[in-house]
Formats: sequence, C-alpha cells, structure tokens
Amino acid sequence: MPKGKPKILIIEEDRFLRKIYKNKFTKAGFEFREAISGDEGLNKVYSEKPDLVILDLMLPKRSGFDVLAELKRDKNTKKIPVIILSNLAQEEDIKRTMSLGARDYLIKTEVSLSDVIDRVKECLAMMELEK
Amino acid sequence: MKRKKVKKYKISEAVSVIAHHLKNPIAIVKGYIESLLAGDCGDVNMSQKEYLNDALINIKEMAKTINDLIDISRIEEGGYKLNFKPVSLEEVIFQVLSDFFHWAKASNCKIIFKKQKKLPQVLTDPQKIKYVIENIISNAIKYNLDQGVIEISVSLKQTKKEILFSCKDNGIGVPEEDYKKVFTKFYRSEKALEIDPSGSGLGLYVNKAIVELSGGKIWFLKNKNGKGTTFYFSLPIIKSKK
Repeated sequence: MPKGKPKILIIEEDRFLRKIYKNKFTKAGFEFREAISGDEGLNKVYSEKPDLVILDLMLPKRSGFDVLAELKRDKNTKKIPVIILSNLAQEEDIKRTMSLGARDYLIKTEVSLSDVIDRVKECLAMMELEK
Repeated sequence: MKRKKVKKYKISEAVSVIAHHLKNPIAIVKGYIESLLAGDCGDVNMSQKEYLNDALINIKEMAKTINDLIDISRIEEGGYKLNFKPVSLEEVIFQVLSDFFHWAKASNCKIIFKKQKKLPQVLTDPQKIKYVIENIISNAIKYNLDQGVIEISVSLKQTKKEILFSCKDNGIGVPEEDYKKVFTKFYRSEKALEIDPSGSGLGLYVNKAIVELSGGKIWFLKNKNGKGTTFYFSLPIIKSKK
C-alpha cells in the first residue's frame, strides 16, 4: 500500500453505488474521489493522480472500455492500476478489458463491498511489490 | 405506403440489455443491506440482522435468476459459449462446500465429501461448472429433510476416461411422473414449490447445457432405499500427453 492515505477514484454513473462506496472506502482509510462519466473520469485521473481507479464499463459520454484504453495509452497514466467493477459478465467483456490492461474484473452483483475493498488493497500491495 | 424496416434484435440481446438494467438496482440494494449488516449506520440488533440476512439471501437469488435468464436466451439461440480451461473438479467442490458451510449447518444438513486421490483434470468452463455444482448441492440442501445427510463424491470412472460427480441426498425426491421434466425449463415439483416458492426452475436446464457443451452427461436416479435422489454428471478427462 502507498504511504499515507491511498487515493482512489471511482468512475461510476450510479449515485447510489457511489454513495455506499464513498462511505466504505472512507471508513477503510482511503481518500475517495468520484466521477460520473467517462470524460469526467479521465479529467479527474489527470488532475487528482489517484493510486487506483475503479471503473464501470457502461458510462455516459465515453465508455469504460474507451477510458481504460486511453489511460493505458498515455505514459503518464498507464501505470495506474484499474479495477473494473461492472455488471457486464460475459467472457468477451472480461477478456477485452484484461487485454487492454485492467488489473482485475469484478461483477457488481457477485461481490460484496468488503470483497471490493480487499481486492483494492491486494492490488495496491502488489503494485508496491512491483515497484 | 412503404413500411419502414425495423432493425431486428435477437432475444438474447434484448434480455442482456434488460438484465443489465435489473442488475444495477440489485447491486445497490445488496450493497445497502451489506452496509447495514456491517453496522455502518449504527448497531443492528439480532432480529434486524435476521431480517437483513433474509433480504440478502433473496436479493442474491434474484441476481442468480437474472443470470439464468441471460444464459437461457443464449442457449436457445445457440450462442451460449463456454470459456474452456483445465479444471480440477475437487477444488471447485471444496470451494462450493466452503461457501455453503454455514447454510448447510443452519439447515441441519450433514455433508460428507468423498474423493479419490490425484484425479485428472477436465476441460470445461470453471465458472460455469462451479455454477452446476452449486446448483446441485444447493438443491440438495434446500430440499433436504431435517437432519438430512448429503453425500458428495468425485471419482474416476472405471473406463478411466471420465470423472464422475455425484450428490446423494435423502430429501423430498422427484415424483415419478415428473422424471422426464426435471431438466426442462421452469420445471418445479409441487413439493419444491411448497418449500421454496421463489425458485425459478431454470437451474437444472442450464446445468444440462453446460455439462453437455463440455462433452459430458447429466442425470439422476431415485435412491435404492426410496428416500431422496442422487444427481450425477460425468465429464471427459484431459488426456495426458505421452
């Protein structure tokens, strides 16, 4: 885990989901940032420089696939780990995002809130080891 | 007057879009219940906890039914695909048993698991075969009688070409007149409906498709003592290269 409070950015259209994740991640000791569209998400990655991004795929303005591709294309953001949190559960969606460079793929209805936090912590710990 | 051509969508595409819209509110409600259970909004007493846990079980069941619907629409249109990988069935069974441990205990069910050592792997979709095993074992728990015993086994068949999975329960059984309907869509016996009115009757139909697409067979037999049923499936093993 990074020193100090790790900063995460969730790019998620649904305000109810953002609300519960904000509550959970803040309580778990994270700095929490949020964006409601693909465009806003990309802007916040550049301005906030989060340690990790949680990304939905069905987003207004720019899809999660496009956001992921953009982040992985840019040398300034390509090292920021991205965890997909989506309801798309088809193998082709999972394969597509993994080949674009996502670190993990979680299906919203199949994981608990604490599973998501655990996976974020594991991912950040792995990133530290890889440094 | 010329009729405007309307783009035809496959049913599976329509189901997929609707399912996506249904899954989002389910994820929200599930998250809120988990948050309440975790005490994020203050202490929760035992009876509130019980109600919240019941709500959580039902919302998970709803999510499962939606996934079944997506699978069924794809099966019907011939577009159901598996992501084949080498799979160790005993590992999947251990995982499912660990997930179901508390539920089986609360349901007064004793589960016995017998396995042969060093079983070869099978080629199937790990997520989908987990679904099959979950479905068979959860039916055994759900429809078992009080103090029921469930015997699960996994072994190499005598031909040494297939792995055989079996799950024997001493539960409500399948009425003889329904034998041909068990693996059909929406089938539910009258007794099953009494015990769990919320089930969709889609699970075994999807199970059959998954097992058959993996090159295997699925079937059931009435237990010799007349109590309960044993469900089986067999899958071809991956031949080792010599």
